[in-house]
Amino acid sequence: MLELKDLSFSVPVEIDGEVQEKVIIDHLNFTFEKGKFYAITGPNGSGKTTLARLVMGIFQPTGGKILYEGQDITNLSITDRAKMGIAYSFQHPARFKGLTFRDLLSIASGTDDEEMILALLRRVGICSFSFLDLPVDAKLSGGEIKKIELATTIARNPKLAIYDEPDTGIDLWTINPMVRLLKREQLERGTTTIVVSHNRAFLEVADSVLIIVKGQIAYQGKLENALTMLSDMSVCSYRHCDKCSGEEDAECYR
Amino acid sequence: MLNAIDRELLKTVADLEDLPKGAYNIRKDGKLLTRATTANIDIETYGDGKGIIVKIKPHTVNESVHIPVILSQAGLFDVVYNRFEIGEGSDVTIIAGCGIHCGGPDPEGHAGIHEFIVGKNAKVKYVEKHFATGPGKGKRTLNPGTKVFLAEGAQVEMELTQIGGVDEAHRKNELILGPSSMALVTERVMTEGEQIAESRNTIILEGAKSRANMVARSVIKGDSVQNFYAVMEAQAPAFGHIECDAIIMDRGRNETIPSLKALHPEAELSHEASIGKIAGDQLTKLMSLGLTFDEAVAKIIQGFLR
Repeated sequence: MLELKDLSFSVPVEIDGEVQEKVIIDHLNFTFEKGKFYAITGPNGSGKTTLARLVMGIFQPTGGKILYEGQDITNLSITDRAKMGIAYSFQHPARFKGLTFRDLLSIASGTDDEEMILALLRRVGICSFSFLDLPVDAKLSGGEIKKIELATTIARNPKLAIYDEPDTGIDLWTINPMVRLLKREQLERGTTTIVVSHNRAFLEVADSVLIIVKGQIAYQGKLENALTMLSDMSVCSYRHCDKCSGEEDAECYR
Repeated sequence: MLNAIDRELLKTVADLEDLPKGAYNIRKDGKLLTRATTANIDIETYGDGKGIIVKIKPHTVNESVHIPVILSQAGLFDVVYNRFEIGEGSDVTIIAGCGIHCGGPDPEGHAGIHEFIVGKNAKVKYVEKHFATGPGKGKRTLNPGTKVFLAEGAQVEMELTQIGGVDEAHRKNELILGPSSMALVTERVMTEGEQIAESRNTIILEGAKSRANMVARSVIKGDSVQNFYAVMEAQAPAFGHIECDAIIMDRGRNETIPSLKALHPEAELSHEASIGKIAGDQLTKLMSLGLTFDEAVAKIIQGFLR
């Protein structure tokens, strides 16, 4: 479904007055299978979000290729990839002045038919219809905007859905319904799903867990076999916060 | 009575397909074209035909007045002075607007001064659209002025829009708010080419517990220039907010100066202002929903000016 071939991405950085290339994704190879649920995790700064953005076309790789359904999409635009069935849910969704949730849903689904829009809301489990005509602006809470982001991604009816940290800003009680929603989309519609997350709830339902370290895949397989590795890497969800102390563990309290 | 150009202008500035229901006064090329009054809304000619007085009886509710002005006579600069007296306890909508059709090289323009005396606890929605079109190269100028006096408990909601085609516009809005009155002013202006638009606003919160919110949205395309000035002055324990955002495209230029003056220690005034290009994350998001770059820009501007 999606093949990453020798994929690389680096950015120029200035160190001691000298411009050097910082490698973010390092000659990465992987094939995502159709209809499977993947969870990508790893330490902060390991390249997870960059990898997701490369697949959507938000960043252009500095080396390697991306094949989607057998077609080389490496040089295609975000728009082209979206039209081919790839959808992306941003960790920090854009806020607009003027555009409403209804506008975004209607762009995403290609219809402004009231019945279809309401059906979409039911599908993503948003019961409050008053939500629809709210501007997607800075007044929305972090949790509200993430629900809208998720809904617009699902409204695309994507073949490949990428979710970057979908639980950011979501309260604890909403995470499980969110996991069930993404899982249902995968199982009922065959959506190939990639979730970038530190949250154990997503990792537990994944068919396969990928651990990215320094821009490379350090592990791929079942969660059970990755627990020791994750624990060693201080991925916060695997530490008991009550045992954390001092600055080095400050991230546990995020 | 209405030709094809008149109909197009009326549709654009006043959403009218034909003559409206209720009270109306349509002015064409500096003269009265047609007028209708109702039992509660009277329209009289003011002075020597250079304007109208609209009198709305107290407690008139759910009625509307349309007072569009259309110009398609080359070389004409039409100046009007209109006065609205809105009786206490009324709830009405006033739809104004000016459409210019310029067919030749001569300039055309319109300066309209609208004065609103809004009675106690009355509620007014005022919608004004400005638009110019036509194949002619003549300069199209629109200089509107609005003065609003709100009595105790009165409310006004003003939507002021300049849609396009206007070469030069100098707008002046002045509002004086009595006790417990409320004003919401939304101004939307889009300029392109070499157009110039300036908006000067003064809002005086004179009465205790008065509240005002001024929202300005500017889209500046091509080599056009837009300047926005707003002064919010609180003379009593009152609340005021100014929000002005400008999106610059191409080589557009903008000056935005919101000014707050608290002359009372319990005044609460705030403002937020921003000038900049369309945010990259907004474009990326809409492109990820399948829009092209240009479609995404159009959608963002459309929402911004809504």
